[in-house]
Parts: sequence; structure tokens; C-alpha cells
Amino acid sequence: MPVKFFGQFLIDQGEVDASHVRQALELMEDENPTLGELAIKQGYMNQRQAIQVSAEQRYHDRPFGDLAVKMGFLNREQLVEVVQLQRTQRLPIGEALVRLGHIEGDDRLGTLLDAYKADQAAYDVGERDLPDALANHRATRYVLEFLPRFLMRVARIQAKLGEVVPFEAKPDFAEICVSVHMKGVRGLEVALVADMEFAEALAMAASGLQPSDLDPEMVADGVGEFLNVLGGNAVSAVTKEGQRVELGPPDYDATLGDGWTVDLAVGTGRAALVLSTF
Amino acid sequence: MSRKINVLLVDDSRTVLAQLERILEEVDDLAIVGMARDGASAIRMASEAKPDLVLLDIVMPGLDGLSALRTIKSMHPWIEVAMVSSVSGDAQKAEEAFRLGACQVLGKPFDTDVIESLVENVRVAIANRPEPEEADGEDA
Repeated sequence: MPVKFFGQFLIDQGEVDASHVRQALELMEDENPTLGELAIKQGYMNQRQAIQVSAEQRYHDRPFGDLAVKMGFLNREQLVEVVQLQRTQRLPIGEALVRLGHIEGDDRLGTLLDAYKADQAAYDVGERDLPDALANHRATRYVLEFLPRFLMRVARIQAKLGEVVPFEAKPDFAEICVSVHMKGVRGLEVALVADMEFAEALAMAASGLQPSDLDPEMVADGVGEFLNVLGGNAVSAVTKEGQRVELGPPDYDATLGDGWTVDLAVGTGRAALVLSTF
Repeated sequence: MSRKINVLLVDDSRTVLAQLERILEEVDDLAIVGMARDGASAIRMASEAKPDLVLLDIVMPGLDGLSALRTIKSMHPWIEVAMVSSVSGDAQKAEEAFRLGACQVLGKPFDTDVIESLVENVRVAIANRPEPEEADGEDA
């Protein structure tokens, strides 16, 4: 049960199918104002600049807003404001499906939204005292909250998080060190350092393979995939709050620099998380 | 007797390929016809193996899953493609996948029931549609 968007949940429930979701997305595309249209309406950009940004998008795989900032047509504050405006004016997918007749009325939609909230409640996180640099990166909270839950879900490993303390040196027990990068307005690198006992337990549980079938590459891959799941769900949760964050593939040759570390009290082997901003 | 479903698995992680293989081994009348670890290989293997269903990762080094999806659906519109990704809850990514023709977006960690239900839906969809018109040795 990962972090899901509403359309995906409705398909999983058998309420609608992919063609219904596609129709709803087309309706939303027709009705929802683009970021450029809203920026023009707010008087932050003119038509000519919006066309220039759209033309530039053919050469850069970047969202309109990021490019508009890079090209000097919008500042960060204006972009945040326009993105918020776009969120409030957006036709939600549930309402689009009701209008198309694929969900029978607002009452049924309300019931489904309640079920969706209950399904996703496992991913609500509380507040946590963090160093400012980490607190400013929304993904940090989700990474720390999701870590013990996914260790239990994926590998049946119980884990308790220690305090977030400044990182000093690579731990003596570290035999494996893998990281993932989350790139947005602020970047966050999440590294998992572990001894072989912990890494093998994680890789074995994640792949379903027997110890005799695990080679060193597969062990590192298993740790990388766990970080991918952890980071991906954290990124999904952050994007639900309206921020754009992209997850990169695992880095199997992570070098640990300045940052913070969290020791993991685990029943199998030893492990720690190292978090750095960039 | 239900029709056998041929499945192509695509993920840069060997762990995920092993995991999916283990889940799908339990499904009756299903054969895994290939495994690929990047988007370019996925496109080539989709053309060669002509699977009924592709399970395709989104975040991969090189050609990513959404780009591979676009190409596979344009070359072989009848192949069902379900995206599998840890970032499936990112609405922008998931919406893009549906727009490009994905039949489902599956999150990680996997839910075995959801994967089994996806295979059954694909089986029903295939049974209910006309045979694709295809020139000898060429894709429509």
C-alpha cells in the first residue's frame, strides 16, 4: 500500500478504469488554466515571454515555472504564488469523473474520498524537531517517518530511530553505502550505511531470493531498491503538498560529506541513515 | 481455459525483477517472456517478444519509463503497459503515464493483490477485443 494519487486508488478499487481516468485528465486539461496563463493574468509575465518559455521547453525537460524563473521572467515568490493559485483553481480528478458520469454523484465521490483518506492515513506524519537545514526540506520528515514502516513492511525488520545528530565520520560497521538524491528547490541526499548482515537481510526480503542466490551486486541493489521505495514515497508525499521534487536513481558509490546522521536500532545487523542537503 | 498472458518485465533493479517474477509465478496461465533493465532494451524486447503486458519502471537511468511507454504504445498500441514505480503517488507522473496510454500505475512496495487483479483485467480486456490487424512481420 504505497502513497497513491486518487485516480490510481479508484482503479485499484475497481471504481473506474484507465480509459475513464484518461477522459477525466482530458477534461481537466481543457478546463484548468496553465501556469503561463495564470502568470499573465497576475501581471507577472506577458504573452511574448510565455511563448518564449514554451519554445524553450522543447529543448529542456523542465517544468514551465522552473524555466520561467531561470529565464528571469518570474521570481521564486511569484512562482510559488502562481502554483498555489493553480492548485486552488484546478478541477480535481474526482469532480471530473463525476461530471463525466463515471462516478455516480457527489455522495458517492464523498464516500470514495473518505475511503482514500483512510487508505492513505498510514502516510500522515507528525512534526519532528530537526536542524533548520533539514526542516526546510519537506521530504526529510517523510523519510524519517516512513523508514521504520517500510523496513517492517518490506523486510519485517523492526527499527527504532535515534536522534538526528551532526555527521562526523563514516561508521566503523559500514560495509555498504548507497544513496538517493531528491532534487527540487532544495536538494536532499539520503544515504543508508549498513553492515553486511543488515544489507543481506534487506536484500533477501526485498528480492525473495535465498542467501545462496545473493551476490554482492544484488545485495547493494536490494539496499538501493529499498532507498528507492523510501525516497519515492517521500517524494510522492511532498508533491501532494504542491512542491516539485524529482527522485534520481540510487547511487551505489555514495561519498558521505557534511550532514546529519540518525542511528537505527535494528534487530538484524547495524545501520544508520545519513542526510545531507545540496 | 483462459488465454495465456505473456508479460515483459522492465526495471533497472534486479531486486525488483526478482520480486515481480516471484509474484507472477503464482499466477496461472502467465509466462514471463523477457526482462529488460532500461527503456531502450524494453522497446526492442517489446517488438521482438510481442508481450500482452509490459510492467515498466518509471525512474531508470538513460531512457526513462515514460519515454519508453510513449514509444511502445505508438509502435504497438494493443500491448497493455502498466507503470511500476516508487513515485507512482506523484500525480503529475501518474497523470502523464495515463495520458500516454498506461493501463495502470502500480506503486512500490508492491501489493500482490493489485498485481494479480491487473493481470486478470488485462486477460479480460484481451479476450474482449478484436485481433489486431498486423502486416506480416511488421507492426501496425
